[in-house]
Amino acid sequence: MENQISDASDFAHTRIPKLSQLDTLLRCHICKDFLKVPVLTPCGHTFCSVCIREYINVQAKCPLCLTELRDSMLRSEFLVSEIIDTYRSIRSDILEIIKKPEDNAESRGNTSLIELGSEQDDSLIIDADSNEDDDIQIIESSGRKSLKRTTTDLTGSSSLRNGPRSKYFKTNSKAKRSSTASRIDSMIKKSVELVPCPICEKYFPVKELERTHLDECLTLQSLGRKPKEEPVKSKPVLKKPRVTPSEKSHLLRSHQDSKIEQDDSVSHVDKYLNSTADTGHQRLPKLDLPSMTITQVKQKLTNLGLSTNGSKQDMIARYNYFEILWNSNFCDSLNPVEVSELKRQLLSWEASRKVHNNKGSSNSIGALMTSRSDTQHAYKKLLLNLKTDKFDRKGWCTLFRKQFRRLIKDAKKMRKASIKGKEEVVSDKIQEDLIVKAETPNQVTKEKIADAVVEKPVPDSTNEEHVSDPSPEEQLTDPDLSMDLLDSLGTRSHSA
Amino acid sequence: MASLPKRIIKETERLVTDPVPGITAEPHDDNLRYFKVTIEGPAGSPYENGLFHLELYLPDDYPMEAPKVRFLTKIYHPNIDRLGRICLDILKTNWSPALQIRTVLLSVQALLASPNPNDPLANDVAEDWIKNETGAKAKAKEWTSLYAKKE
Repeated sequence: MENQISDASDFAHTRIPKLSQLDTLLRCHICKDFLKVPVLTPCGHTFCSVCIREYINVQAKCPLCLTELRDSMLRSEFLVSEIIDTYRSIRSDILEIIKKPEDNAESRGNTSLIELGSEQDDSLIIDADSNEDDDIQIIESSGRKSLKRTTTDLTGSSSLRNGPRSKYFKTNSKAKRSSTASRIDSMIKKSVELVPCPICEKYFPVKELERTHLDECLTLQSLGRKPKEEPVKSKPVLKKPRVTPSEKSHLLRSHQDSKIEQDDSVSHVDKYLNSTADTGHQRLPKLDLPSMTITQVKQKLTNLGLSTNGSKQDMIARYNYFEILWNSNFCDSLNPVEVSELKRQLLSWEASRKVHNNKGSSNSIGALMTSRSDTQHAYKKLLLNLKTDKFDRKGWCTLFRKQFRRLIKDAKKMRKASIKGKEEVVSDKIQEDLIVKAETPNQVTKEKIADAVVEKPVPDSTNEEHVSDPSPEEQLTDPDLSMDLLDSLGTRSHSA
Repeated sequence: MASLPKRIIKETERLVTDPVPGITAEPHDDNLRYFKVTIEGPAGSPYENGLFHLELYLPDDYPMEAPKVRFLTKIYHPNIDRLGRICLDILKTNWSPALQIRTVLLSVQALLASPNPNDPLANDVAEDWIKNETGAKAKAKEWTSLYAKKE
């Protein structure tokens, strides 16, 4: 889930397309991802803490309504935070459950209502290619009949096979026949069914439980009037659910899915109930660094244990971003992380910035290497002497031999491809590939270096799939050429 | 540590899978922050039946900073100058990170539909527009058929 980019449109082709609205609402309008440490503005809008703090540094107004905004006005929203965490933990399950099982549809491309209806367990399928209009048609066309049917045909599902019917109606009538259907059924019914109170284990309608009973129960407990269960507040966050003796839960929901759901919801509820603002750390002030001398800026950074590398501008940017991270973490977050983790985040932020800023400059090799943690240490040692005569060119070459070889190989491939022909059409798939590639920070710099090595690079031919390379290893065995290239690279960075 | 923020990838994906009617935007192969954009002239405007090419660039600080948009096709419009630069508040002072490529391009399309000669960028065009609106519109139409032909 972390790597995959989820989007509200994931729900567009499920049985409950409206969930995409919920999905959208739980996202930050700045980063378009799920709200991370949500904070509320005085104008009533919610953003990720880091996102909005970053924007306030640029412009002190709300991105949505453009009213004035300062970061001291932000208030954290623990409830929203836990709602989102809960939702994120069950999102893929929900998607799975309400997904239209298009792929296992036997009669793909078959849009006839009657035939659709005649399918057995897959009868919930709307054709894979059907768009939303089709759905509407199906519901509408069956609307006339389904009214009658719900009253007469509820039990005899066999008589339904040859007729069109609404999706929801199908769910009801077939609930006992397929496990999918029964799960959906329980989801639909959930709103009216009785649910056990996690504390006293008596059953209540969901709404009543949420609105009034839970509060009452908790109050009673904290007063110690019902000592048979331990009070919620003393429970550790990750404690197993105290609800659901299995013989009771089966009345409500079918199986594991719902159990996981409950596990999570309980712990998130606990987390919310136990939430308090962290007061152990002081807010970092915003400083007018540009008007300070470079020594003063360095002093400020050293006090925080931050590096003083780079220009004054770099240092200012570093402090400002650290201030955002710090305040977001210690003022807004429900689970503040350690300072060391913040520093790690700061480092990776800086590294990704470097890749950006050095796009065109000759320092791109440096940027490439800073992003590699394994070689970083040795690389730093070597780099110390980069601008003097003591620079260990051999060592540098051996250290990055692998990378250089790969680059040479890529460059050769490119040239080969350019000779072979440029007629390859860039398909959608390649665009995807490019997007994926672009995520790795090496991409840009790699191409830059390739530019330096090969005189006539053809950007279109980065598509390696179409290039047949019979003996890639053989090409690398030309030591003179490789060393030449390495040398030229060495002098290149030397001149930087 | 992605050099291309998730948000940009997401916006690109959506632009491709769920395009805005009358607008296309494709990222360049070499630079995924650079988009080739086409906008169809809105119906009922002097730019109707024209296809306008634009370039859009997402700066490093996007979405904290507005995207840079420029017309590549010559156009006779009071808010667009000879170099294709666009006078549009959301691209300047009223930019907000809650906006996105999609909304920006829609705003540009809306600007074509309703030129605003009172806040001009191309002064001569704006003057013409105020003094002789029908004439100016005719000229805009002429330019559209001259430079913004659909291929």
